[in-house]
Amino acid sequence: MFQKTITRSNIWVSLLALIVALPMFVVASSWLIPISDLWLHFAQTLLPDLVISTLILLTGVAIGVSILGSVLAYLVVMVEFPGRRWLEWALFLPFAVPAYVMAFVYLGVFDYSGYAQVIIRELTGLPGFDIRSGHWAIILTFVLVFYPYVYMMARASFKCQKIQMIEAGKMLGANPFRVFFRISMPLARPAVAAGVLVTLMETLADFGVVSLFNYSTFTTAIYSAWGDFRSIEVAAQLASLLVLVAFFLIYFEKKARGKAKYYSAEVTDIKPYEAKGVTGWLVFLFVFSVFMLAFAMPILQIIVWSFSVFEEEWGFKYIDYFSSTVTLTLSAAILTVIVAAVLALPRDRVKNSKSVQILIRLSTLGYALPGSVMAVGLLYLVQNISNVSLHFGGSSINHILFGSIALLLFAYVSRFIAIAYNSANASSDQIKPVYGHSAKLLGASRFRLVKDVYLPMMAPGILAGGLLVAVDVMKELPATYLLRPFGWDTLAVRVYELSAEGLFERASVPALIMVMFGALLMFIFHRLDSNKI
Amino acid sequence: MFIYTKKLLLLLALFATLFTSSVTQVQAATNDTVTVYSSRKEHLIQPLFEQFTKETGVEVNYLTGKGSDLIERLKLEGEKTPADMFMTVDAGDLWYAGTQNIFQSVSSDILNSNIPSHLRDPGGLWTGLSVRARTIVYSTDRVNPNELSTYAELANAKWSGRLCLRTSKKIYTKSLVASIIHNQGNENAKQIVTGWVSNLAAVPNAKDSHIMNAIIAGQCDVGIVNTYYFGRLIEENPEAPLKLYWANQNSTGVHVNVSGAGVTKYSSNVEGSIQLLEWLSSARAQSIYASLNKEYPANQNIASDEIVSSWGSFKQDKMNLSIAGKLQSEAVTLMQRQGYK
Repeated sequence: MFQKTITRSNIWVSLLALIVALPMFVVASSWLIPISDLWLHFAQTLLPDLVISTLILLTGVAIGVSILGSVLAYLVVMVEFPGRRWLEWALFLPFAVPAYVMAFVYLGVFDYSGYAQVIIRELTGLPGFDIRSGHWAIILTFVLVFYPYVYMMARASFKCQKIQMIEAGKMLGANPFRVFFRISMPLARPAVAAGVLVTLMETLADFGVVSLFNYSTFTTAIYSAWGDFRSIEVAAQLASLLVLVAFFLIYFEKKARGKAKYYSAEVTDIKPYEAKGVTGWLVFLFVFSVFMLAFAMPILQIIVWSFSVFEEEWGFKYIDYFSSTVTLTLSAAILTVIVAAVLALPRDRVKNSKSVQILIRLSTLGYALPGSVMAVGLLYLVQNISNVSLHFGGSSINHILFGSIALLLFAYVSRFIAIAYNSANASSDQIKPVYGHSAKLLGASRFRLVKDVYLPMMAPGILAGGLLVAVDVMKELPATYLLRPFGWDTLAVRVYELSAEGLFERASVPALIMVMFGALLMFIFHRLDSNKI
Repeated sequence: MFIYTKKLLLLLALFATLFTSSVTQVQAATNDTVTVYSSRKEHLIQPLFEQFTKETGVEVNYLTGKGSDLIERLKLEGEKTPADMFMTVDAGDLWYAGTQNIFQSVSSDILNSNIPSHLRDPGGLWTGLSVRARTIVYSTDRVNPNELSTYAELANAKWSGRLCLRTSKKIYTKSLVASIIHNQGNENAKQIVTGWVSNLAAVPNAKDSHIMNAIIAGQCDVGIVNTYYFGRLIEENPEAPLKLYWANQNSTGVHVNVSGAGVTKYSSNVEGSIQLLEWLSSARAQSIYASLNKEYPANQNIASDEIVSSWGSFKQDKMNLSIAGKLQSEAVTLMQRQGYK
């Protein structure tokens, strides 16, 4: 009897995962049509260059975020230094800044004509340089934007590491560096890898930063196929390769992690090391300068820009932008979290659980799809459903679904489910199978087991995931821009429209409001997080 | 248990409301409303539509988006599209939309007399509404205007390390190169683009405003920009050591592009849309339309904005703009082969 229920729940979960993964299937189905000549042209022109530059970018970003994210997390968790308490949460704040905003601020400040370079040239007489040529500047930008993913995961992992192991290391006379390299880091490796994975998928799907830097990645070819050669099919074919790359990344991460679980549920807030005197201030200086570069400086810059054009840009329309943003953000977060919770619920192992796992993994790949490809994939999906409906004498549903909130929310869920799922899954992983067994022995129904045991235990993970999704939806541009209904312009749309015209000062006004809203969400995230501990 | 169901119902109700509200919005479009899909940005069209509604009582409902996205959406929406008009900022997009069966042909004496023929589709599918001239901008500190002549001449080795260009991904660059292919042939165009690329002082810029900042900062000496970006910069910073130079005055003339619009094939309010289109071509609207963004009015009887007219008059390239559209993918192919990023 019980066994049967679980199999049925597997079917429901598979169905849900399949629905979420639908846009991916539409995109992949582009391979059904014949290969176009455009491939030959791309192979001769864009592809060689962009495969190499994409690889360099991914490698650089992966190394950068894993070092920066885990070092920061280690310092904040294991070392007591001046200012640690507020920096611990302040380091989350760059999450609230959209990557494209960060990019236009950095270019405005540090590029050849930016005032930072102008001042340095005047002071030192050194020649200027083009920060957009080469790879390091764009890698650095992505690292500063995305390190919080690794920081967040690594920090949680360091906090949960068995304090006894570290104490033992200390007793054996290991210094903080040795403990970091020999004990903490190896234990935190799965967490860091998960953070790097999310970062790489974001980097692969990015269009805003790469187009401001005029850097070639895979998305360059996708947009060229669509924008330059009007071939949505080739764009979809290229995009499905991105999904494939993401699939392998996830696979290798899983392989590398194996079955290892290094977490302990007990968390202690004891700082094993105290950095006193100069050392303490040096640590502070390092952590603080990351915070300055990744958050305080860009925000100060957009505040300054906002002031100069505030009267021109501000108006009642901002009530609309803000309410659209908040409504979409919150409803998408709630919906995504519900789906993620269902997918992540602990299930007993039954025969087909492997294929269910693969389906769930598939459904989280949307994160690697550029938003606009995902959006067009959805339009085509609706079109196909309409065609089927017309075939059976029904009517087209295009005009009902295009430009409806429903389709937009679907796009958000499909795109951001990975974030919510990872977070919910991490907390569901910690639920020992014994809970299920005892519930079974006590004759509790699965419904009661889920409601009274699983969900309460997963609640912190679900909530945290929801807040991260909310911040991501708030920043999302391409899918929103293509699918939003009339009158649903968001702050991100406004930022884009103004910055596309080169009006970066005016774009700072909506950007600033966005960052403030994002910071508020991150603050709630932090409060939940610290209550948990 | 009961509480849970109640919460769930509440949530469902929330989504249902959101869903239906968006559906009803689409259905509300009646004959007193013209619905516009536009890749011209909101801050440049909203004041005009407001004025139109004030004068005629016809409401304008609009949705902005990227040109290629909106065309895709229009294609998929087909007969059921809520859009009565498609407005975009490049002749290539207008031409392409025309080939995709998105527009219907409009013949209007008012449009014919207001807008010169090379700025309109020969078949009446779309009409240009403002002219965007793309020409040379130079540093008054480091360049003598006598050294300048044509777009092609910027491929000369004397500009090595002194040239800044906008990315080939931008539609304005594509149309410019398409016009060079049309005027000078593919082989010459190839040599010109190769020369440009080897003269670049920096990676091609994402924005025209970045090009001008780079010239001011001394990274490069010359560039090619749309004049309205220059207009905006000069308005803010009249002392900037930059000037416009009218290219190709002894040959084909300055490359111009248009922003324009057409009535959609499946418009449910053709009359209202034509009314809006004609109104947009009228003297009143044209002066707002162009001066909002320091562009040139398409209606040649209207004086440009003060700053704009201070740059003097110039000879325009009279190539019909649908040709630029047709040649755009050839232009992209050429640029990608020559490594113009």
